[in-house]
Amino acid sequence: MAFRRTEHHRGRRVLATLLFLLAPAAAAEPDRFSASELERIASHGPWPTAWMRDPGNRVSANPAAVHLGYRLFFEPRLSANGRVACATCHDPARGFQDGRATARGLTDGVRNTPGLFDVRQQRWFGWDGGHDNLWSASLRPILDQGEMGGSAGRTAHVLRGSAALACHYRQAFGKAPTAGDSDLLVNVAKAIASWQETLLSPPAPFDHFRDALERKDVAAAAAYPAAARRGLKIFLGRGQCATCHAGPNFTNGEFGDIGVPFFIKPAGVDPGRQGGIKRLLANPWNLLGAYNDDATGGNTTGTKFVRPEHRNFGEFKVPTLRNLTLTAPYMHNGSLATLRDVVRHYSDLDEDRLHADGERILRPLNLSEAENADLVAFLESLSPATPLPPPVVPAPVPACRAP
Amino acid sequence: MNPVSAQIESRRRRYGNFLRRALFAAALGASTTSANAACPPAAADGTTITRGDVVLAWRVLLPDGALKSGRIPMARHFSLDVQLCDRGGVSGAQLAKADADMPAHKHGMNYRPTIKPLGNGRFRVDGMMFHMAGEWQLAFEVQAGKEITRLTHGVQAD
Repeated sequence: MAFRRTEHHRGRRVLATLLFLLAPAAAAEPDRFSASELERIASHGPWPTAWMRDPGNRVSANPAAVHLGYRLFFEPRLSANGRVACATCHDPARGFQDGRATARGLTDGVRNTPGLFDVRQQRWFGWDGGHDNLWSASLRPILDQGEMGGSAGRTAHVLRGSAALACHYRQAFGKAPTAGDSDLLVNVAKAIASWQETLLSPPAPFDHFRDALERKDVAAAAAYPAAARRGLKIFLGRGQCATCHAGPNFTNGEFGDIGVPFFIKPAGVDPGRQGGIKRLLANPWNLLGAYNDDATGGNTTGTKFVRPEHRNFGEFKVPTLRNLTLTAPYMHNGSLATLRDVVRHYSDLDEDRLHADGERILRPLNLSEAENADLVAFLESLSPATPLPPPVVPAPVPACRAP
Repeated sequence: MNPVSAQIESRRRRYGNFLRRALFAAALGASTTSANAACPPAAADGTTITRGDVVLAWRVLLPDGALKSGRIPMARHFSLDVQLCDRGGVSGAQLAKADADMPAHKHGMNYRPTIKPLGNGRFRVDGMMFHMAGEWQLAFEVQAGKEITRLTHGVQAD
């Protein structure tokens, strides 16, 4: 009888919790969700999403290329002074970011270094979307005089100087890395991209909550902090954040002007997406060019149809909201140091900074300090709850292992 | 029945059907229907919108298959299959423009779609994308000679 009573009480408790999470009077309660909100919460998962190889990169998921790309990502000899590698700015210990407001390669840059987790899911690369594919975006810093200042000749020299690197290059591309090979730099970039495609972030506390709701697992859902639930409600509702920060990766992959200044010290402006479209269309390594390995052309739609608009000036990419606790500071110029600053930016939004012909739904959210804290709690729940281990070192392919 | 009489009878039947559909739509108090019923057989099976004599049926084409739940998924490229009709059946008019914007947001798409005539009043529009969730308005311009008819239709992206 006691057992039955316990079960009965447990059942009532489960039912009460379920009603608490799914109550129809959701609008009146700060951490209850309506059917519509539950549907929208579900749309932010599941996580991780299905991984697909890049059809525009013929060595995507190729083990020799992944190993080669890993080695070259950490290789400073690709740079002009032999001291700057991709990993100099994309530090694995910081979510593949550098913790600086703006990047520093051979010289100081003007934009914040983006993290690289889940980079395979992006449509456009760089804050201005100046690249339509990951390998092209990986090639630019190698050649950029302010970042690595490298060259095809220097890269070939590094590859030929290492039996292991040269072997992996041959295994991946079917030929030796020669200095006169015009394809060499593109191939190296494709190898580096193939490694970056393997950088996937694990499920975060939000994902466990979202999945628990899907399973109607009340006990598991109840483990999600109340502050994060309240923040999620603001995110979906009053904040209208999900209008752009949509889907499992919390971004629509496009661009927006949210009133972050685009002036560059000491003088000048960062044109953002407007300049990005110009660079994209002038880039010989875009997907409309000869180096796209997708014979169907099915991956060219974005580049083929992109429409330059006056409002693009000062627009920057809508970033993913995953792994934010690893990648401070924030915004395209790294001007906001903390997530609290980011939330305050939207709460106190300066409408005078917005384009006259830009987005019309941006308004100051006028959040209270408690609401700011709740939204921060939600954003933090999109990052791993525990420190991430170093990335897995891809094994050398058997043909290239030393005897 | 000689061929001329058959043609006249066919046109009369189509016009009669058109009037019946128009009356039905008016009875519903709407000029849009979710089923494609306005065009000749085998026309697009999506949504039909009318303005004056112009009947335009459109449906969404996604790279990976059919539209689910009738809502257009945001931030994904899609195409439109468009069929133009008039009172006589298949229209000889041209689809001169297809675009979309978010009236509440005061901006349009980030992509400029192209229109490809397929013959028999049918057109394919490529390069569409609704990059934000919310209410969008499809905007079509249909040109017959010098006359341009503009048709709009509200849709939801999410």
